[in-house]
Amino acid sequence: MPTDNKPELRRSVTPWGSFAWGYSDVGADIFVGLGLVLAAAAGASNVAFLFAGIVYVCIGLAYTELAATYPVAGGGQYFVQRGLGDVFGFMAGWAVLLDFTIDVTLFAWTCVDYSSQLAPVLVASVHPWVHFLVTLGLIVGLCVLNIVGVRESTAFNGFVSALDVVSECCILCFGFLFTFRPELLIHNMQMHWPSPYQLMLGISLAIISFVGLESISQAAQETQRPASVVPRTSVALILTILIFALSYSNLALGMHTWHPILDAHGHQMQFWEIFPNNPDNQGKAVALLAQQIPYFGALAAFYVPVLGAILLLISSNSGVFGSSRIAYAMSRGNLLPSIFQRVHAKYRTPVISIATFCGVAIVELIFAALPSLDPNANAVYARLFRGESGLDFLADLYAFGAATSYSFVFIALIALRLHDPLSPRKFKIPFNIPVRVNGERAEFPIIAVLGFLGIGSILVFTLFTHPIGRIAGPLWLIFGLIFYLFYRRGRKLPILRSHKQDWRKQQIEILRSAGELELMDEYLANLKAHDERLATEATA
Amino acid sequence: MLILRAVLAAAIALIGAVVIVRMLGQGVHFEILPGLVLGIAMVALGTHRLSLIMRIRRGST
Repeated sequence: MPTDNKPELRRSVTPWGSFAWGYSDVGADIFVGLGLVLAAAAGASNVAFLFAGIVYVCIGLAYTELAATYPVAGGGQYFVQRGLGDVFGFMAGWAVLLDFTIDVTLFAWTCVDYSSQLAPVLVASVHPWVHFLVTLGLIVGLCVLNIVGVRESTAFNGFVSALDVVSECCILCFGFLFTFRPELLIHNMQMHWPSPYQLMLGISLAIISFVGLESISQAAQETQRPASVVPRTSVALILTILIFALSYSNLALGMHTWHPILDAHGHQMQFWEIFPNNPDNQGKAVALLAQQIPYFGALAAFYVPVLGAILLLISSNSGVFGSSRIAYAMSRGNLLPSIFQRVHAKYRTPVISIATFCGVAIVELIFAALPSLDPNANAVYARLFRGESGLDFLADLYAFGAATSYSFVFIALIALRLHDPLSPRKFKIPFNIPVRVNGERAEFPIIAVLGFLGIGSILVFTLFTHPIGRIAGPLWLIFGLIFYLFYRRGRKLPILRSHKQDWRKQQIEILRSAGELELMDEYLANLKAHDERLATEATA
Repeated sequence: MLILRAVLAAAIALIGAVVIVRMLGQGVHFEILPGLVLGIAMVALGTHRLSLIMRIRRGST
């Protein structure tokens, strides 16, 4: 929040830069999610993606409205703190922090999986120690790069995003024109429909293909005229990601493969059947799908693994960067100790935040890799967690963190609509019910309620179907709350109530620094009318 | 660059229309729903992008 004379983020991100920023974060998710969902939901994978996709559209619209109204870094944590108070703001931010640390590990892990398509020495099931050490090396490398202040440039992000959009469009066009058989899709859906448990598992995993919407609000603080630009780029981003997720899942189920795929007994398999019980294939699903596209697949077999690995590495890096930035924002909002604001004397980067959350990411990596590295640990995992693989472990926590933080964001959106009707909203989610709150006209968002029910059900599916997620996820929140309690008590700040903040002054400053002067004038006029009305009522 | 983006947008809208037609060709039942939504989303994105590109082009001339 730029309320003092501390250095502010420069607003240099253009509309394409804003799109690329979001795309390089969310666009990589399908590279991870596709294989996991195909393995879990089989013939209903496209339905799992459709359900999660509809919820994602609601989440995307909510983030778009909030980011355009309050264009500050901090994202979900800031919206929830402003709408629901400090405790819930902390819980939302803490859940996002879990997601960012998982993001670092999960995407570094799958980056290695995609690389293994061209370098077999990296295959996890064959060389688990090599896979583990390379993933660890990537995380440590990203940590060091972030500490010394080297980040991928917006131009590089834009280039990789553009290349990936073109590549995915080619896969989609060639795939639907030459390999897609609707009758095969319907046959697979009817013959391989999963059990309700597997479908719930598939839906809870499908949501991980849509995680990363925080980047919309992260980019908002650095975007020129965010109130106008963010809605435009967000709608394109939301539709693009939805289309890629739906098209890959439909293609995978209705695909007549270019080359026959044979099992160990020489029987022909369908494409989606190579994923169940095969974590190696699950980790590089898009590369395997691309190489099955006629004509284009010959070329795609070489470059899609590389492109996927680069995109996943960028996404992993955004986890390192994002976690340190969220911790910094939470620290400034009195939700975390001020140590997380401390910057390195030479490099001017939040070194403590970066090192702490990279450390958490490494601990998560060790837990994920243990079953493949140590047979004893494998036996323990098999007994306690139904033998979940490392990739499943990371996906469990990723789904839990996302579902928790998104649930809070929906409630915060409703609260802010009702408590802060005076802030101008250049973009508003459609389908609202007009209501009056304290004499002011407000609009109750129906989509937010539907989205909350959707993400709430995904949270329940996650807790029900993920043996590790249901333990480690809530434990992370409980640990965080205990930490928060001691910190607030030590600082003599209210524990359950919120620290008093001048939101009006902050909002004026936010709009001024965003260059949204018309909106600032509108806000000031709304405030004046509101205060005059209150004064008239008081004298009457 | 603008032409490439327009070609991509038109291709997406066109493929979306193809997907809709091919899914509807299978009859009307639950299994065609995800494909149908995909086709509609592709047409929506393609036309949305094309309208933006047209607006930019009109603005520059």
